[in-house]
Amino acid sequence: MGVAEYAVEVAGAVKSFGRLRVLDGVELRTRRGEIYGLLGPNGAGKTTLIRALLGMVRLDAGTVRVLDTPMPDLGVLGRVGYMTQALALYPDLSVEENLRFFAALHGRGGDVDAALHLVELEDRRRSVVATLSGGMRTRASLACAVVHRPALLLLDEPTVGIDPQLRAQLWDSFHAMSAAGTSILVSSHVMDEAERCDRLGLLRAGRLLAEGTAAELTARAGSTRLEDAFLRLSAEGA
Amino acid sequence: MSWRRIAAVVRRILRQFVRDRRTLALLFVVPVVILSAFYFLLRGGGETPRVGVVVQDRGALGAAVAQKLERSALVQATPLDERTAAAQVHDSTLAGYVLLPPSFTADVLQTHVVAPRVHLEGSQPGPSQTVLAAVAQASAAALSGTLPAGAVPRVEPAVAYEYGGAGLDTLDYFGAAFIGLVVFFLVYVITSVSFLRERSQGTLERLFASPLRRGEIVVGYMLGFSLVALVQAAVVLCFALYALHIHNAGNVLLIFLLELLLVLTAVNLGIFLSSFARTEFQAVQFIPLVIVPQVLLSGVVVPVSTEPHWMQGLSHALPPTYAVDGLRDVMIKGADLGWPSVQLDAAVVLAFGAALVLAATATLRRQAV
Repeated sequence: MGVAEYAVEVAGAVKSFGRLRVLDGVELRTRRGEIYGLLGPNGAGKTTLIRALLGMVRLDAGTVRVLDTPMPDLGVLGRVGYMTQALALYPDLSVEENLRFFAALHGRGGDVDAALHLVELEDRRRSVVATLSGGMRTRASLACAVVHRPALLLLDEPTVGIDPQLRAQLWDSFHAMSAAGTSILVSSHVMDEAERCDRLGLLRAGRLLAEGTAAELTARAGSTRLEDAFLRLSAEGA
Repeated sequence: MSWRRIAAVVRRILRQFVRDRRTLALLFVVPVVILSAFYFLLRGGGETPRVGVVVQDRGALGAAVAQKLERSALVQATPLDERTAAAQVHDSTLAGYVLLPPSFTADVLQTHVVAPRVHLEGSQPGPSQTVLAAVAQASAAALSGTLPAGAVPRVEPAVAYEYGGAGLDTLDYFGAAFIGLVVFFLVYVITSVSFLRERSQGTLERLFASPLRRGEIVVGYMLGFSLVALVQAAVVLCFALYALHIHNAGNVLLIFLLELLLVLTAVNLGIFLSSFARTEFQAVQFIPLVIVPQVLLSGVVVPVSTEPHWMQGLSHALPPTYAVDGLRDVMIKGADLGWPSVQLDAAVVLAFGAALVLAATATLRRQAV
């Protein structure tokens, strides 16, 4: 059996919290090895969708497949990396101790050196996380998400609140991983990051309004800037 | 100093209190609950200590003292033979028995000294004092009008102890219970706050995004914290026994085993209750709500057997009650694992620990519903 074409397949995903419908029939597929940008304003349902991909949200309707495996499935999570909005590190442990812990959870030895190299933290491997700067902690958090060499990396707004230089560094890391074959789904509400993705999905009010490359979306909306395209496509979808 | 700004601060604090129902409950409900617990424990009309009365004396005075004891409001006195009374003191059914020897009346008339033999169970100070007070009261009442005019009687019971003894002080009695309760309390606080931190710093979400199962998280936490808690328990135990010289008639390893079982319960209680808190502050709020009542009802303040009946039911539904009972059995009575009461105490605490593992696992939700 060959490797499936898609890293993530979402079909008819519906999820409500009380009376609030957070996902409203989302259809989405990301290809293996691509960087897929899930764009949308705050409250669009991006985090809920990512948590559904991880089996942490029970859908009211619809299906989710990750790496050709129906979710929820604990086994496949060993091949998935997840960077949350929070730093999600143990502040009392060193960078290396955090990495080794998360590598162990995924059932593989992991490659601590490669993860540290990717985020350029080799010289701070023995530093206790609490002593690191905010930017270093963000990089350490990414290292924890990739230390087990995941086939799929889910990044929930990884660049929120960080400076432009670190943001550029992180995107370099994402591209390096993508080039090495890792499939990446990254959520963001920052439009200037969208052009760094291979393909985009515009999510608003729990619905995927449009999907395609940045060029395709701007052409479809008849605008030159992606931000204008997003606003126009949102208005059409409303 | 601007009173307007101060007033703004005061208004904001009051508004936050009104919105924070847990804190309101803590402020107003918990003191009422705790004081009520004290009221029922200390003044609640629970059972008085049970006492056996063995009358070997054929004189009038022996019968009179026995009659006064049986009518005493301080104790529940029942006529028994010496053998039965001794057996019931040994298994702690009785708080003690009073033996009025064959020469009791003659000795009192001759020496003006009332010397009943009082054999106390002795593992808890409260009931022992009550029994001695009842004996003194009954003796004095029985003597009135019996002795010749001008004779001043003295009541000097010959007291023997089944467990413990006159040499035991308050710390000896409470120390056995505190060894367990101190560890229980601290382990609960540390576990619940640590687990809350796991949630608040986002690492729990990362754990859920890994192949780690819920049960593995709970068991991992349980073992990790238990190892640390065991060291703590060992330090507490050694300090209590060798620095404070708290009385111990039993096996140190058995005390340690009972502490271990209580530690397992505390760890899992901490994980379980942390599911119902969103912040570390809320986890700490569970202490007066959950931990203090457990400590009060564990028998450390007032023996469970003398609590009001409905309260005894509550006490028997709480794990520290069994741990305290087991620790007192071992340290004061010198019990070993061959004692059915110790087996029961250990088994119940273990069962509570196991039930809390399941409860903690069940409430640790991977999925948002």
